[in-house]
Amino acid sequence: MRQSHLFASLSLVTALVAQHSAGTSAQAGAGAIKIPYENYVLPNGLTVLLSVDHTTPTIAVNVWYHVGSKNELPGRTGFAHLFEHVMFTGSGHVPYGVHDKFTGGIGGSNNGTTSNDRTTYYETTPSNYLETEIWLESDRMGFLLDTLDIAKINAQRDIVKNERRQGVDNQPYGLANEILAKATYPATHPYSWDVIGSMADLSAASEEDVKNFFRLYYAPNNAFLSIVGDFDPVQAKAWVTKYFGDIPRGKPIVRPSVQPVTLDKGQRLVYEDRVTVPRLYVQWPTVGEKSDDRFALDVLGAILTGSRTARLTKALVYDQPAAASVSARQSTNEDVGEFAMMITPRPRHTLTDLEAAADAVIEKIKTDGPTAEEIQRATAGQELAFVSGLQSNLGKAQRLADGAGFHGNPGYFQIEYQKLMAVTPADVKRVANKYLTSGRVVLSIVPLGQLDQASKPAESKKVGGSGGGAR
Amino acid sequence: MKGLTAAVVVALLVPVAAQQSLDRSKVPVPGKPAVLVVPAWTTTTLASGAELIVSERHGLPLVSFQMTFQGGANQYEPVDRRGLADLVRSMMSEGTKTRDADALSMALQTLGTNVGFTVGGESGGAGFQSTVGNFEKTLAILAEMLQTPAFPPAALERLRAQRLVALTQSKVDPASIAGRVFPRILYGASHPFGQYPTEASYNAVTRDDIVAFHQAYFQPGRALISVVGDVNAAAVKASVDRAFAAWPKAGSKPAFSYPAPPERRATTIYLVDKPGAAQSTFSLGNPGPPRSTADYYALQVMNFILGAGQNFQSRLNANIREEKGYSYGVSSSFQFGKGPGPFRAGGNIVSAKSDVALIEFMKELRGIAGGRPITDEELASAKDSLVQVVPGQFASVAGVNGVITTIWTQGLPADYYQQLGKNVAAVTKADVIRVAKQYIDLDHLAIVIVGDRATIEAPLKATGIAPIVAVDIDGNIIGSK
Repeated sequence: MRQSHLFASLSLVTALVAQHSAGTSAQAGAGAIKIPYENYVLPNGLTVLLSVDHTTPTIAVNVWYHVGSKNELPGRTGFAHLFEHVMFTGSGHVPYGVHDKFTGGIGGSNNGTTSNDRTTYYETTPSNYLETEIWLESDRMGFLLDTLDIAKINAQRDIVKNERRQGVDNQPYGLANEILAKATYPATHPYSWDVIGSMADLSAASEEDVKNFFRLYYAPNNAFLSIVGDFDPVQAKAWVTKYFGDIPRGKPIVRPSVQPVTLDKGQRLVYEDRVTVPRLYVQWPTVGEKSDDRFALDVLGAILTGSRTARLTKALVYDQPAAASVSARQSTNEDVGEFAMMITPRPRHTLTDLEAAADAVIEKIKTDGPTAEEIQRATAGQELAFVSGLQSNLGKAQRLADGAGFHGNPGYFQIEYQKLMAVTPADVKRVANKYLTSGRVVLSIVPLGQLDQASKPAESKKVGGSGGGAR
Repeated sequence: MKGLTAAVVVALLVPVAAQQSLDRSKVPVPGKPAVLVVPAWTTTTLASGAELIVSERHGLPLVSFQMTFQGGANQYEPVDRRGLADLVRSMMSEGTKTRDADALSMALQTLGTNVGFTVGGESGGAGFQSTVGNFEKTLAILAEMLQTPAFPPAALERLRAQRLVALTQSKVDPASIAGRVFPRILYGASHPFGQYPTEASYNAVTRDDIVAFHQAYFQPGRALISVVGDVNAAAVKASVDRAFAAWPKAGSKPAFSYPAPPERRATTIYLVDKPGAAQSTFSLGNPGPPRSTADYYALQVMNFILGAGQNFQSRLNANIREEKGYSYGVSSSFQFGKGPGPFRAGGNIVSAKSDVALIEFMKELRGIAGGRPITDEELASAKDSLVQVVPGQFASVAGVNGVITTIWTQGLPADYYQQLGKNVAAVTKADVIRVAKQYIDLDHLAIVIVGDRATIEAPLKATGIAPIVAVDIDGNIIGSK
């Protein structure tokens, strides 16, 4: 992200199952799952998604580029996100600072986010500034390189390194994601590094890297422009044509064919950190957007943790009670996914015991499966969550773009909803058995000098962080 | 792209000549701004003394329900029981006289929602968002939780243990450390703003304390019930009357009488050692004014220019992040409430640049107080932003409800938003400089830095900006060089 607050959303995925808000109303159902939209493609390949909502005199403009950290090359990790920052440094006809003037400076906002799979940029503003926002986005898509120089890149490099320090290196447990990704995927696998990248690779990025990346990936044929809110669609289409129409199509993009992975045997790791309480992480490789198993895995997560009656939460936090907190959920990226569990112990309870206690709960669900009532409760909040989300122009803009970009269908949210609501106890039992196997990564993060606090310390391999180091 | 379902390729009819004549360096002229429409609401008083505000908003089948109580932990927590209010709000979800916590949770899960209780420093409440069809049932559960909590002793022990683990974890988290030490330095241990939960205060809390706090706090005489959404105002009143029929008339709004903050000390750097820290966490500031200050609008304009989070090109961020690259982001804010909340400027600074970053912070704080003239563009941008951000705050039922509760808790006039444009427009450059001088006390600034003392202390000292005092994570002086 360009601006702070939510570092976690760097590794953004569509989180369908909200952990704390379950629920549906008995009377509405799938009929409420609607976003009116129209879509078309310009001759240069730009996909345009429009959704009118006059409720509030505001608009959101979102440009979604199909490029993320998985498109980086080894030795250049963190590049897609660094590039996101460069996109805010001004372009051919938009001097630096003007973008902020016509967003934050008029009661609106702008930002960007980078995930493994895509990079998005957005503006939310009063609706009378729509043409201005289209102008801003078109100029950096068409003319970023006109004013780019190494000084701009270096400035953003320093800022991104500070983003990494703030979110990873100076954060208790901050290296967990990086260690887990590295252990879950083979060294050359495009999901084996975290979006933020390593300090050494950030230092290595050159001006030529930036230019090549831009020319290939920041072309209209790799982009999805959504406009949502209070606007006249005829006028909006004319402006889109006026500002984006003559940006030339880029070269065809060859996307890596990325397969989900399985781990033949488990890995058991321990990392010493400046923490006061140890913590256990368990991660299983699963599936990405293209597999419908993700829906049953979403439901499995909501059956295991979130509410106080969820199985793992109830056993570990309430009944025993040996843990201060536990979470388990599926993360879905475009090509791959992970099911990740995290347990924070209470004093006098070891990570070894907690791992065994969690495994016992998981074994039971693998043997017996969940009940239909558990599934109903776990998904009951989906309709409310969806309808509530309709109040956000930006939320709708990103949802339409995710569907178009990942599934070739802006209306994929309806299919997604139907598939999630159709998950059965047998589905959940099946995916628990298929994915929650011994082929997993177990990571203990322990206080400095306390390696014996790891789960099964004698079998755990000590690891260091790859990127920042202590300072 | 593999082709969109139902995609329509539109033939582009714009002539090539028109394309070539497009002058992209010309900034598009914005259209006419929309007329501000402030949501309407009705206010009534219930038999219990609680106020009820309903704002009908049709379109989506949603309801936002909120109960708000005036006063919070700062008014109702004993000094040796800090953390009590937070335990109470969690205990509210631990079951009622008629059903245990699991049954309650499952009933709410089935309704697709959750009832959350909060007790903050100066206000608290309970609320939910639901589909309109589940509103009555969810309201009945909230009323049951509020009026007949069971407070099982085992739940208190579990919650206490969880809080103690979180407290232990927080002692190595730079943001948490700054969150303890900065207000402690500003307000001292005997002011509510300078206090926080400790192992001792959590361990002192008994079930009797929970029962007593609940009885004394959740009273209609200090309560607002606000409902926004796809409802009918009369029907909502009938529902609320039914749900709270047994609520006896009691309670009144607190006075919010805070002790005066301690006498300010000359500008000092308070250094909290965090060995090996990759960044130094900066907090610079002093006690500020309450929300009721007549200078509110001038302060908002001034802070927008200086360091507001929503202003990426604020002076602090433009300098320390964008130009120098010392940080991922720096900002400043006033914490406007009933009491004199702090002014704070700060951010996370790469350790090696701690000294030069401090010089830049001080330069910008001096600059906004007159050292660097306010430009026309800065003033216009601040004013435009503060006014034009308003319609977006009314975009959701929860947003409208938040606006209503803020107006009520802060005692603002009902036409606050109608008058906002005029009040912001009246602020002058001279006002900006005046309030900067008045409310940012450069001679008595507390500069709290959480960082790697071994590497940053000497460079900080060499800046000559202020003497350095090493403090622990409770703000106690542990020796200085």
